Amino acid sequence: MSPVSRVCRLDLSAFPDVWRVEDLARGKATVSSGAPVLDAQLPGGGWPTGVMVEVLQRSPGRHVWQLLLPALARTIQEKDGPIVLIAAPWRPFGPSLTAQGVRPERLLCIQADQRAARLWAAEQALRCAQVAAVLAWLPEARNEDLRRLHLAAQQHDRLLFVFRNAGSRHEASPAALRLLVEGIDQLEVRILKRKGPPLLLPVQLPATSRRMAALLQARRSLRPMSREPLPASERSHVLDRTAAIP
Amino acid sequence: MYWIALRPSLDGERSAWSWRALQFTPRVAVADEALVLEASACLRLWGGRRRLLERLFGNPQPLSPAPWAQAPTALKALALLRCGQDGRLARAMKADELPLHVLSAAGGHLAVLERIGCRTWGDLRRLPRAGLARRFGADLLQALDCAYGDRPESYAWLQLPQEFDLRVELPALATSASELMWSAQRLLSQLQVWLQARQHGVLALELEWTLDLRRLDGVALPGQERLQIRTAQPTQDVVHLRRLLGEHLARASLSAPANHLRMRSLETVAWAGASRSLMPQDDVPGEALHQYIERASVRLGAGNVVVAQAHADHRPERMQSWQPARGADCSSLLANSRRQSRDRLPADALYPEWLLPQPVRLEVRAEKPQFQGPLRLLAGPQRIETGWWDAGAGGPAVRDYFVARSEQAGLLWIYRERLAVPQESAQVRWYLHGMYA
Repeated sequence: MSPVSRVCRLDLSAFPDVWRVEDLARGKATVSSGAPVLDAQLPGGGWPTGVMVEVLQRSPGRHVWQLLLPALARTIQEKDGPIVLIAAPWRPFGPSLTAQGVRPERLLCIQADQRAARLWAAEQALRCAQVAAVLAWLPEARNEDLRRLHLAAQQHDRLLFVFRNAGSRHEASPAALRLLVEGIDQLEVRILKRKGPPLLLPVQLPATSRRMAALLQARRSLRPMSREPLPASERSHVLDRTAAIP
Repeated sequence: MYWIALRPSLDGERSAWSWRALQFTPRVAVADEALVLEASACLRLWGGRRRLLERLFGNPQPLSPAPWAQAPTALKALALLRCGQDGRLARAMKADELPLHVLSAAGGHLAVLERIGCRTWGDLRRLPRAGLARRFGADLLQALDCAYGDRPESYAWLQLPQEFDLRVELPALATSASELMWSAQRLLSQLQVWLQARQHGVLALELEWTLDLRRLDGVALPGQERLQIRTAQPTQDVVHLRRLLGEHLARASLSAPANHLRMRSLETVAWAGASRSLMPQDDVPGEALHQYIERASVRLGAGNVVVAQAHADHRPERMQSWQPARGADCSSLLANSRRQSRDRLPADALYPEWLLPQPVRLEVRAEKPQFQGPLRLLAGPQRIETGWWDAGAGGPAVRDYFVARSEQAGLLWIYRERLAVPQESAQVRWYLHGMYA
């Protein structure tokens, strides 16, 4: 038996002065990420609100929605404010997001080229009383800028995601949660920093939406998609129809 | 009768103080350097003298505090104010003890009166009335009677103006727009007093500065330059107006140094009051969304702060349009408004999450489209055909959409343009239109 598991066997409730590292993150409000595998690894069981979550990527914009959509859909149902996108690499496409639970009317897109303007917009959005969540692409942000944003998110208890280049993974960051997201067919989420013990293995998540995955699966096996037929009401797309009809 | 005399400590604040006083009593008048208020008729409304004074002088923000005095007649209140007797002191001087120099009507005769041994109001009143009127004129006698309350006083009562329009001289010539901010801020605080007095909220106001030069480098200059400031919801909140003004002035430029500043209200509506929630969790600190949108639109440009508007169309680029958030209806950004459930718009998870603003032409090598390496087509085609009714849209859209996979960039949404008339020589054109993320 390894020493670690022997420690875990101890009944810690008998020692009121002893706390575990995971307890540090408890008590914070979180929003479920929609994927139980990821929730199990995130401290508190979801995306924490009131702290900065830093997502590192090799190319900006990839995997964003697949990673965050369930949480964002839940957030805008609970709160009545918009999601603010700051300096997004492209324009979000409404029909796809609507199908996945986020109405595009609830998105406020802000374009800014300069670093200072992006930071200003992000910070002011965090200080706005009605904003539900802020997604900011800040590839060239410095540590002190991020600290400022982190403090603003903390003061106003907002959901804040900052997207940066994977190259900055070795720089210091005030973020309470840092993720490195990569992969094409599978989404590999490496948790670089969290409250609690470090995570050695990446978390595997599906890289596409359920419908897209079903379509690709059907195409790959060159068989009609009979094993898991979709309900007729969802079958509205041309691509889908060709896949479903043998 | 119950009179209050007050002297604004700053010269520019006199009208603002009179507007403020008009909220409490309709009888406000200018008397020499001070304002006098008659409040006996509305004492019950405000709950007595002490409450009235507390409300009037307790928190004079955004104006600066003003010294004041109270008395049964206006002239006595004015005299007490001039004596430096603050109204807060419990014991006020008796009328007989007041010196003569605080009575305006006696101002011209002070030297003569001094020589005949008249120093106080009491001394003057003991002199024979007929001789006094003959020697010094009837005005002095009348003023004395008014001061003692033996004769009614009459004043021209002030009225609240319909429009806010104030012009101030700048303390120094302003060479850049940001130097106007200090004076504009003072005007804004006076605007706030005016709005509170009129129970109005401002929607639009105009800042105008007078240029000091007629010509600069041989070019004739206009006399004034103007700046309009608009806000989406009527407000009495000067903090938001000040920030908005600051953003505007940071972008404005003066064509020559300015010497005067004028502020005018362009559009005001009746103020409904700000409602607050009973529940503490609803009372979140921070500015309102429309204020954020307005400030960001001014700072970053209205075209850079946008919201999506969905349309029923079959062409992807027409399914939604991006409108400046400033003029658009902000209510759709907020809670699940009723509008959302009404119209059924295209929704499908098979569309990509990101759409490129302009399709990108892809290179074709060996009849295969390339984007950071060769693309492998995974699904498709989805055929989208024509939009001939939109003449200006650059021709009808005749396309086959495919889902393609790139080793570098992941899943992409690309299309092949189909030509209306197939030509052997024409090369097939591929475009990248969206990204799956």
